Amino acid sequence: MVIISIIGIMLVLIGLWGTLTQKNLIKIVVGFAILDTGVNIIMVSVGFIKVNANHVGEALSKHAVVGGEADPVPSALVLTAIVVGLAVTALMLSYVIKMYREKSSMNIDDYKELRW
Amino acid sequence: MVGPIYIFVVALFVAFLTPFFDKISRKMAITMLLFALGFMTYVAGSWLYQFIGGAQTTMIYTAGFKPPVSISLQLGFNESVFILMINVVAFFTGIYLLDYFKKMSVYSIALFLLMVMGLNGMVMTRDFFNLFVFSEIASIATYSLIAFEKNLKSFTAGFKYLIAGSIASSLFLVGVIYLYRITGTLNIDTMIASSSLLVGKGSFVAIFLLFIALIIELKPFPANGWAIDVYEAVNPGIAAMISGAVVAASYFVLAKALPAFGPEWYSVVAWIGIITFVGSNLLGIKQEKSRRLLGYSSLGQVGLLMVILGFSDILGEKRDFIAFAMIISHFFAKAGLFWIAGIIKKDNMKDWSILRRKPMLLVLFGTFIFALIGFPPFPSFFGKWELIMGFMKNGLYLWVAFILLSSFFEGLYLFRWFGYALKLDDNDVKELTVGASKFIPTLVFGVALYGFGYYMGTFVDSAKNLNYIPLIFIAFIGLIDVFPAWIKNTFSIAGVVAYSYMIYPNFQDDFLKMIFLFIFLGGAVITLFGGYYAKGRRAGFHAMALTMFAGLLMLVEASNLMQLFYGWELMSIGSYFLLIRGKKSMPHGLSYMLFSLGGAYAIMYGFGLAYAGSGTFDLIALKNISIFPALAYSLMLIGFMTKTASIGLHVWLPGAHGEAVADIHFMASAILLKAGVYGIIIVLLAMGTETSYAKTILYVLGWVGAISALVGNLTAVFQESAKRLLAWSSIGQIGYIIFALASMSYIGWVGGLFYTIAHFLYKGILFSVIGGIALKLGTAYMYKMGGLIKRMPFSFVAVLMAIITLAGIPPLMGFTGKWLFYNIILTKELFFQGIIVMVSGMIAFLYLYRLIDTIFLGQLKDEHRNVKEISVALLIPVYAMLGVIMYFSIFPTKLLKPLSQLAQKYFPENAMTFANGTAITKFGYFNGTSIFIVVMVIFAVVVSWLAYKTRGFHTVKQFNIVYSGESPDRPETTHFAWNFLAGYRKGLGFIVEPYFDRFWDWISDAVHGIADQARRIYTGNGQTYALQIIVYTVVVYFFVNGGF
Repeated sequence: MVIISIIGIMLVLIGLWGTLTQKNLIKIVVGFAILDTGVNIIMVSVGFIKVNANHVGEALSKHAVVGGEADPVPSALVLTAIVVGLAVTALMLSYVIKMYREKSSMNIDDYKELRW
Repeated sequence: MVGPIYIFVVALFVAFLTPFFDKISRKMAITMLLFALGFMTYVAGSWLYQFIGGAQTTMIYTAGFKPPVSISLQLGFNESVFILMINVVAFFTGIYLLDYFKKMSVYSIALFLLMVMGLNGMVMTRDFFNLFVFSEIASIATYSLIAFEKNLKSFTAGFKYLIAGSIASSLFLVGVIYLYRITGTLNIDTMIASSSLLVGKGSFVAIFLLFIALIIELKPFPANGWAIDVYEAVNPGIAAMISGAVVAASYFVLAKALPAFGPEWYSVVAWIGIITFVGSNLLGIKQEKSRRLLGYSSLGQVGLLMVILGFSDILGEKRDFIAFAMIISHFFAKAGLFWIAGIIKKDNMKDWSILRRKPMLLVLFGTFIFALIGFPPFPSFFGKWELIMGFMKNGLYLWVAFILLSSFFEGLYLFRWFGYALKLDDNDVKELTVGASKFIPTLVFGVALYGFGYYMGTFVDSAKNLNYIPLIFIAFIGLIDVFPAWIKNTFSIAGVVAYSYMIYPNFQDDFLKMIFLFIFLGGAVITLFGGYYAKGRRAGFHAMALTMFAGLLMLVEASNLMQLFYGWELMSIGSYFLLIRGKKSMPHGLSYMLFSLGGAYAIMYGFGLAYAGSGTFDLIALKNISIFPALAYSLMLIGFMTKTASIGLHVWLPGAHGEAVADIHFMASAILLKAGVYGIIIVLLAMGTETSYAKTILYVLGWVGAISALVGNLTAVFQESAKRLLAWSSIGQIGYIIFALASMSYIGWVGGLFYTIAHFLYKGILFSVIGGIALKLGTAYMYKMGGLIKRMPFSFVAVLMAIITLAGIPPLMGFTGKWLFYNIILTKELFFQGIIVMVSGMIAFLYLYRLIDTIFLGQLKDEHRNVKEISVALLIPVYAMLGVIMYFSIFPTKLLKPLSQLAQKYFPENAMTFANGTAITKFGYFNGTSIFIVVMVIFAVVVSWLAYKTRGFHTVKQFNIVYSGESPDRPETTHFAWNFLAGYRKGLGFIVEPYFDRFWDWISDAVHGIADQARRIYTGNGQTYALQIIVYTVVVYFFVNGGF
């Protein structure tokens, strides 16, 4: 379904916009989380597009995947990607905490010790 | 044989059990870590051993399925090499980090292991999604390890790294899923097989996303500010892993993914690579922080690897050799440098002088620096050679120019850093303690570089018959460095003599080579003999002197261009270390090395053009160069002239030589400069005189020689230091030789070669004696000397004889040289240049007179009242050389005849004839023996007459005079030797203005200024870095797609 892909791409763009424009560290991380979700949705959408939309609808209504019609691989990949994304987001947040503890600022512009 | 899957099994098993091991004891946990890493190394090594033996590549499928359902791992020769590298560096980093693991959280051990496992997986997997998983495992483990370092710098660097890594993995995922949609597979091999499906815009975008994600992992310039921060901030042990193992794995990943993308992507990689290589190294030159500097250098190296990868089709089967040679050098050297950085814990480059407390560590530091820049005998030397030659052969001239320029920048900042460690004036050098766990890994990697240097050399055709005997001998001398100087001296002399005897038969028919062998090897024996004056250990001196002589020897022995270049580079290394031994020599050592490096690259480029045209590395390739011949010959001549210190390229010499001690000054001036002369001779012989460009080049070269003679001699006149005076004089003297050679005529070559030998002899005497005096008095300033004739009579006689020779006064052999020069000028009708050369000869009188007058005559200084004659060790070789001068002065035809035969071989016209010891040219005749007799008779008559008339004179003692009071503030300014020939300065001073120093300073300032401005793109803001990555992606897309 094209619409799902479009939603995914929009989420990616929103997330990207968030990470590139927001100065607050938490908001940047949230931006990444949105971006990540968008990527996951794009991946899922690819699995659906593989087969005819009607077939998918039928398959879903029967609560069973009919052999070869809906591709299981993207779904499996998405699961992995979600796990990885979770780990990265958690790690980012823990970095934010550590940075805040050192300098008591949530503004990314204040963390420019290393440059040039 | 242990299955490769056990690499993952053991890594995961130990990693997950680490907390339990830690419950028993931390020691147990660390032991298990090292056990796991050791096991992984063993598995990789044993497979590599099998593959070398001819085993087939194996595939490993998990869970009993075939791809695309299962995850497939591949282990072949290439994979095993890379996982071995990764596991080796991990194992030694594990040892290096022992203290770190002891005091950090136990999870750091598990994370470290997971990181290594992820990297192993990245290399072996043949599945794109699996690649994502493994690289995320490695990355997340790395991010977490960075967070263990409890300081703000690490946190911000880690956060920036996370942002960049997340953007890359998002791009990667989207690309992978669309590729999967189009091809129906995630398997790299299946995807390559179904590449016919990858057509149209959709496929292009999918491939692009995957491609750019892999590129971002390789940290392309300028979207790589975050990576430099990581290198600077993280624990040096982890940084060593990132720079060694992660770079190797990322390179391998790109190399295996590219075939799936299609051939058009290779050139994109090459462009990205060259931009990264040039950009990183240019911006690095302003850097003062050591680890940040290593970051810049690491990024640059990856750029070069991308260039190699991008030109896979051109390099063909040599690609893997070149890439491996580069990676392995970078890998050992960077890991070693980061480790040393971790040992000394100082970030400012200027604080690295602390390394002098640990000479072994300093040697290793030097090893890593030289390996990075690509000097012999390290693997990168061969890699760079093959790369440049491969490129040149395929017409990538501009690419080579950029690669060499960028390598030069890298050399600039690395050598500056090395100079700080070696020579920075720093009296307050603190103590340094090194634990065994940190020292051993560094040592192992340093030694490995030499081993691989030899090993890689065996794969290069043109290096196959490279002579390693001198190098082995140098290694031996290096190993016995703890013994006193006289023992090493004896061994060294014995080695040189034995070797000379061994190779003598190979060269006895080639008089040209014999001349230079006589200068190089004879010079080696003489200078080493002079070295007996030195007391104590003289750490490192002998190994380095022998390295220089081995390089010089290789230059003469070389049977092809590669060996010539090898010798040239080896000689540069040795001489650099000799010259930097002097006091206050740091800036001069750097400028010497930079001119050497620049010269070497110019030569390399010239050789490359010669090879490109002829397809052979044989020396014959230099003849009739067909591609840009004028450029090729000019570059080679310029390269060789960096060593002869001809005008324009001379700015390093006065300082470097002026600070060198006696015997090193001799080596550097009388011997080393002749290497340049030898190179020029080779080029001139190959170039010939016929073509129009040759005529122009020779005309310019003649002028360069003449102006060098004038400026060199005139500047020598105005020096206060006797050693600087001699240094400038050398520039002038070599100018004569170049002028003579550039005339490309029979008489010119006889004259040039005659001067080459004469200069070696008389300058050798002057350097030894003046250097010895400076050593005795503790100063080289002439106004601090005087009246030494009584204290140092033997020195006086030697100097007197040498300057009579130098000045070309009859009856000594310099007069023969003068006579030859008049013949050159008349034969070639070079009146204008000839007048300049002749005038410079007269100017030489001024400073030569000064040497005698201010050092030996005049009043003896009070503090020198008890000074003794210079060391016998220096005087013996001096008088031996004086004997040779006397012999050739009385019998000049003994030298002229063989030189005449030699020159006739190349220039059969206008040869002189000989009759009874008389040499006859069309302008006149010359009989050295009768001149000698006549002059000596006149001299004897005059002297006896004076002695007769002055008999009974009362000798005035030094203090039979009256002083008239006050002493001035700066006593030296009232000394007659101060500003001795000031009158001439008023008239001729404009000639000796340091125009070229100003020119080079201006270039240097400009480059540094550009670098300083440009590096401000690295603002330090993580968000800016993220934006840079996005913009970079868009720009690359724009260029690859040719629009949107």
